[in-house]
Amino acid sequence: MGVTKKVVIEPVTRVEGHGKVTILLDEKGQVTRARLHIVEFRGFERFIQGRPFWEVPVTVQRLCGICPVSHHLAAAKAMDVIVGADKLTPTAEKMRRLMHYGQTYQSHVLHFFHLVSPDLLFGFDADPAVRNIIGVIKKYPELAVQGVMMRKFGQEVIKVTAGKKIHGTGAIPGGINKNLSIAERDFLLKDIDQQIEWSRGALKIAKDYTIEHLEELSGFGSFDSNHLSLIRADGALDLYDGGIRMIDSEGNKVIDHFNNQNYSDIIAEEVRDWSYMKFPFIKDLGVDKGWYRVGPLSRINTADFIDTPEAELARQEFKAVTSGKPNNITMAYHWARMIEVLHSAEKMKELLLDDDLQGEDLVVKGERRSEGVGIIEAPRGTLFHHYKVNEDDQVTMCNLIVSTTSNNVPMNLAVEGVAKKYLSGTEITEGLLNRVEVAIRAYDPCLSCATHALGKMPLTVSVVDHCGQIVDKKST
Amino acid sequence: MCLAVPMKVMELKADGTGVCELENIRYDVDISLIENVQLEDFLIVHAGFAIEKLDVAEANQRLQLFKELAETYSDGQLD
Repeated sequence: MGVTKKVVIEPVTRVEGHGKVTILLDEKGQVTRARLHIVEFRGFERFIQGRPFWEVPVTVQRLCGICPVSHHLAAAKAMDVIVGADKLTPTAEKMRRLMHYGQTYQSHVLHFFHLVSPDLLFGFDADPAVRNIIGVIKKYPELAVQGVMMRKFGQEVIKVTAGKKIHGTGAIPGGINKNLSIAERDFLLKDIDQQIEWSRGALKIAKDYTIEHLEELSGFGSFDSNHLSLIRADGALDLYDGGIRMIDSEGNKVIDHFNNQNYSDIIAEEVRDWSYMKFPFIKDLGVDKGWYRVGPLSRINTADFIDTPEAELARQEFKAVTSGKPNNITMAYHWARMIEVLHSAEKMKELLLDDDLQGEDLVVKGERRSEGVGIIEAPRGTLFHHYKVNEDDQVTMCNLIVSTTSNNVPMNLAVEGVAKKYLSGTEITEGLLNRVEVAIRAYDPCLSCATHALGKMPLTVSVVDHCGQIVDKKST
Repeated sequence: MCLAVPMKVMELKADGTGVCELENIRYDVDISLIENVQLEDFLIVHAGFAIEKLDVAEANQRLQLFKELAETYSDGQLD
């Protein structure tokens, strides 16, 4: 290994501390800026150097908390490039897609039912003692059960496609190492129509909530922005692969079908002294104008259409609210996320009925390369993996841009918008705390990780006056 | 990137929650999403919910990986 080993000083647990929010005031006591400080783990890039490239998709899956499958597939896609696998076999690509839709489905469901639904069902001002999953189980028991069963289905899909991690099964450079047996297929098929039905119900909750509260939500941490995602060659939503598209807040295409292997030609990352997390931006537009949002809201905004019938109808309803223009409402992430849940359910059914999943041709290889990029639309947004590999098969360079990093500027702006609207005087009220939490949660950031209390986003909010003095500080 | 450090189940309660330990710190965790959780099982926890159960071999592999990760990680960045 080509890295220097050093003595551990900080325990890993400290990586996952509180998110900190600082609200800065001017001389008149008006909010000038709000900053969200997220402590992000940035050690993977160095850790992976010196390790064999074919090990990376499994290693990354073992380390990553919320979206292990997305990291697994992004790394595998990069390694496809390294082994010269420019086109996977139909069985390999479809197995990977099934795995990815299963992951997206269960991740979105967990977020919506267990973390978000209490906010929507009980309101932002409800007592935190009620505004949690236990409250949902008591008042809406059927809904809570659906959430559990939907998540379980997604997990089952991952289990049969990714296999047991200990043996490193799942995606491998150049393909996949198992197909789907008839028994596994039939096991999933018997439940899929029920899953689609429940997805419709979840979508309806998110849609009705957004439309009912449209005026309030339009002014709730919302702002014009660019939106970035992968896009299929024909303009369809594609969570697994595509070129890079970015539209501006009016829907004009700023970047379109850009070859994702060359992402570093158009995207740069800025470091700021007050944040551990980097700030990605489009080089040509510069730091101030080149930032963008990623994730479900951006994907539904950038797509010309969705290739499954019910999700496409849902997309059209979504677009109608903004007369076909991009939707820039932060809380509309939830509606967009549930459109993707329905889309994932429809795609899983389509794939389960496809005989290619029982194919025997699993791996291809071509001319070996020394560099590869793998980009995927993870549940939280575009995820970039970039590796260089030497002749001994060791990784010599790794760069990741995770979706929460891309949403860094947007989350800061969402918090700032909420602070400007809801901070009265210098006192941090329960109402303000709740709203800051709700605005950040819309982005489903990685910060809500392992050690946090049940469904809570641990936040410490400070108000700082123009002299730099902390005038109030409260935690969730 | 957030990390999936396995947590060990130290206590099971009647209300569907459990107490899990990570680096000598104990946390209350909702284990209702995972079937048949036993004492000393290793769980992956997200926002207070256990989302995955690991078998012992897999948990050990991961703990070893985290140990190596910590060893290659210099001070100052984990703060």
